[in-house]
Amino acid sequence: MTMLGSFALRCMLACAVVCCTALGFSPSQAHANEITVYTSYEEDEAAAFLAAMQRDLPDLRVNMLRLSTGDLHARMLAEAANPRHDVIWGWAVTNMVDPRVLAMLEPYEPQGIERVPARFRDPEGRWFAKTGYMAAFCVNNEVLQRRNLPMPTSWADLLKPEFQGEVVMPNPASSGTGYLQIASILQMKGEDAGWDFLRELDRNIAQYIKSGSRPCNVASAGEFAVGASFALRAIKNIDEGYPITMVIPAEGAGNELEATGLMRSSRNKEAAKRFIDWTLSEAAVEEYYKWKEIVTVSGGTMPESFIKAGLPEDIGSVMVDMDFDWSAANRDRILRQWQDELER
Amino acid sequence: MNGSAPLPRGRRPRDLEPLFKVLVAAAIAVPLLVFVLYPLVHILGRSFQTPDGLGLANYAAVMGTQRFMRLVYNSFEVTVVTTVITVVLAYGFAYAVQRTCMPLKNLFRLIALIPLFAPSLVQAQGLVLMLGRNGLVNRTLGTDFSIYGYWGIVISSVLYVFPYAFLIFSASLALADNRLYESSRILGAGPLRTFWTVTLPSTRFALIASTFVVFTLVITDFGNPMVVGGDYSVLATEVYNQVIGQANFELGTVIGMVLLAPVAVAVAFEKWINRRSHAQISEGSQPLSVRPNPLRDRVFTAYSALICLAILSVVGIVIFASFTHLWPYRMEFSLRHYRFDVQGGIQPLWNSITIGLMAAGVGVVAAGLAAYVTEKFRTVLDSPLYFLCIVPAAVPGMVLGLGYILAFNAPGNPIYPLYGTLFLIAICNVYYYHAQGFLIASTSMKQISHTFDEASSTLGATFLRTMRKVTLPLMWPTLVGVAVFFFMRSMVTLSAVIFLITPSTQVAAVSVLFLEDRGAVNQAAAFSVCIMAVVVAVLIVARLVLNFFGHRHISLIR
Repeated sequence: MTMLGSFALRCMLACAVVCCTALGFSPSQAHANEITVYTSYEEDEAAAFLAAMQRDLPDLRVNMLRLSTGDLHARMLAEAANPRHDVIWGWAVTNMVDPRVLAMLEPYEPQGIERVPARFRDPEGRWFAKTGYMAAFCVNNEVLQRRNLPMPTSWADLLKPEFQGEVVMPNPASSGTGYLQIASILQMKGEDAGWDFLRELDRNIAQYIKSGSRPCNVASAGEFAVGASFALRAIKNIDEGYPITMVIPAEGAGNELEATGLMRSSRNKEAAKRFIDWTLSEAAVEEYYKWKEIVTVSGGTMPESFIKAGLPEDIGSVMVDMDFDWSAANRDRILRQWQDELER
Repeated sequence: MNGSAPLPRGRRPRDLEPLFKVLVAAAIAVPLLVFVLYPLVHILGRSFQTPDGLGLANYAAVMGTQRFMRLVYNSFEVTVVTTVITVVLAYGFAYAVQRTCMPLKNLFRLIALIPLFAPSLVQAQGLVLMLGRNGLVNRTLGTDFSIYGYWGIVISSVLYVFPYAFLIFSASLALADNRLYESSRILGAGPLRTFWTVTLPSTRFALIASTFVVFTLVITDFGNPMVVGGDYSVLATEVYNQVIGQANFELGTVIGMVLLAPVAVAVAFEKWINRRSHAQISEGSQPLSVRPNPLRDRVFTAYSALICLAILSVVGIVIFASFTHLWPYRMEFSLRHYRFDVQGGIQPLWNSITIGLMAAGVGVVAAGLAAYVTEKFRTVLDSPLYFLCIVPAAVPGMVLGLGYILAFNAPGNPIYPLYGTLFLIAICNVYYYHAQGFLIASTSMKQISHTFDEASSTLGATFLRTMRKVTLPLMWPTLVGVAVFFFMRSMVTLSAVIFLITPSTQVAAVSVLFLEDRGAVNQAAAFSVCIMAVVVAVLIVARLVLNFFGHRHISLIR
């Protein structure tokens, strides 16, 4: 074969590939039993939930996209003109109450909604929150020992000079976990004292990291002594075998609820509603208790590994009573001030 | 394949040819307009959108801050230093491969290209495993230094862009006219003098091109700064922050637009140099024969071995970590990280392979034709077409990806049916990497003397016949390299696709990012190893196919 021959062949092959894919991968019309779900649940927990869902609703096909809270927010706003998904599942309430997001939701009262206490629901029925997560420190035992550091038990302990350069924290501008941490500090101490505290803490912070789970992960890897993160990440990393201790700050743990809602634009509302109904079923709640530190629906008990990792059974006793409306309403202003003063 | 292409047999009226050429040039410009300029214009428009209508408020808000000036300074500091280091190191390495009698050339060349086989994240990840505060070096030696920040970004960026510069230099140094070197030797010039007066000037274009490519790749990369940058913020990470973190498209687009500024300067400069460059292979050329020189060869072997050691150790430690039970605490061998428990398991890898094949097919045609048309046609559309071809190099991937969402995710748009398909991701990759593919092709095309075309044309051949008889035989190896280039980039790219993936079009590199983000560092490493394995396998297959068609002497990647 001549050189041109093989070149022409390549061109034809390329064209064939182009045509096939253009036809074959065109978005097919939504099947009756197929929905797309956007979620910010951690990858492993979402996979477990979906596996349980598939046992109960074997005919329902769920395409799931998992992105972190901030990513998903950006994506949904970018796609707002023509949303691709039918359901938002397990996503921070603070972001859900963004008026631009609320406008995309359709009120729906799923079966079993009465199991969710009223304070965890939108009065207009656009979302309800059945799970949540709370702030916790991941402290690396090996690093503490090597550098001769005391075990911190509170946010205040992190101000000690010996922790200089040993603490990492999420950047609240990009991370939902980061925002709930500084929002909880501002709510507990009041804004003036809260900002003073954050400024003082800033001296010891080695890095502000752009994700909520990474601070725990880098502390687990021993890169830094303390990573301010969330409880489930600490528990899972302890399970993995990392030499870390989960510390719930003595002042109280900031927390966030994960909400679910039906998209007004859904092209397959019947299937979407079946899915949402399932998220409040017995089987679903059972799974939540295996994976989440906060479950708003009663009917389960906390797994052994959570308690072994240091989570109190009465979780309400260590949590800050968060004002989510305040967190949402002041998000832009607080982030702007944080960026002006503390962002590096 | 006789008659498979409707070739004109000299009967075409010659005066129609200029018109035909303009039409072809225009046809090549159309996809560039649709898939590069249109999304960018959309982004540009968004950057002027404020709550009070159109205005400059977004620009004023971003540029008025001290932090922004610091980011600009940081970005340029890192980028300029990285570019200088990379260009010098890669030139020396390419020289060693093409112009010395160093042993194991093919092995060295392959090792130098390894960074192309894995997502850029892996360079930074390997660096942290090795030089992090709890990395191998600190743990072993009991030292306590930190890689995070300026030097972390520079080192990982050099490793990340090294192959790009090497590919360009290697392609340029591969072609030379032996008569010049013979003359230089006979006239009594020493090796250094020959280098300064013959070699260096003949690779001017490659120097400019690689500086340009490296500069724009580094200034727009966010993967490495995110992993090892610590608090050393740069413009690219700021775009990520503004758009992903705060859903602030307007401010993100402003910084994206600011990142476009260097390209204008680079384009003008490159154009100026281009006018002064001349072909170094002409009809009387003789291929270069490199004579052994024990001292020179030994020095360059040691130099190349050092560079390869650096590249191998960073990638090797990631591969090693993927096979340990729990790095760095339990180092025993384990395959548990290869049980991928992400959504869809290993499916993202198949998606990436599909995208890579499509991008290779589309990319080689798009970039190859564009290079041919801008180099050989000399139509009025040359300058705008050239600009379109290299503009993507200065577009941060995520800005292009965001532009695709903003522009194409509207039911009225003709491109809308492609939205949410693997094919659109492939297109996005082709046009995101268009400038590099185009420059590789045109660097090589530039070195083919115009006298070939003129001779061919004087003898009455149409340009299609010239292309078939003259250009393609000379270009063939480079085009294969371009195809492989597009495939590899598509397998490992992160930034452009992060906005385009959907539940059914998850890609492997993004899986690595998610695994890394989730803290499954070993699993992320394992996924990267799978990506590298696929790329290497494809390279081997391509090699075998080339050999089968009798191109055994041609190096696949140039």
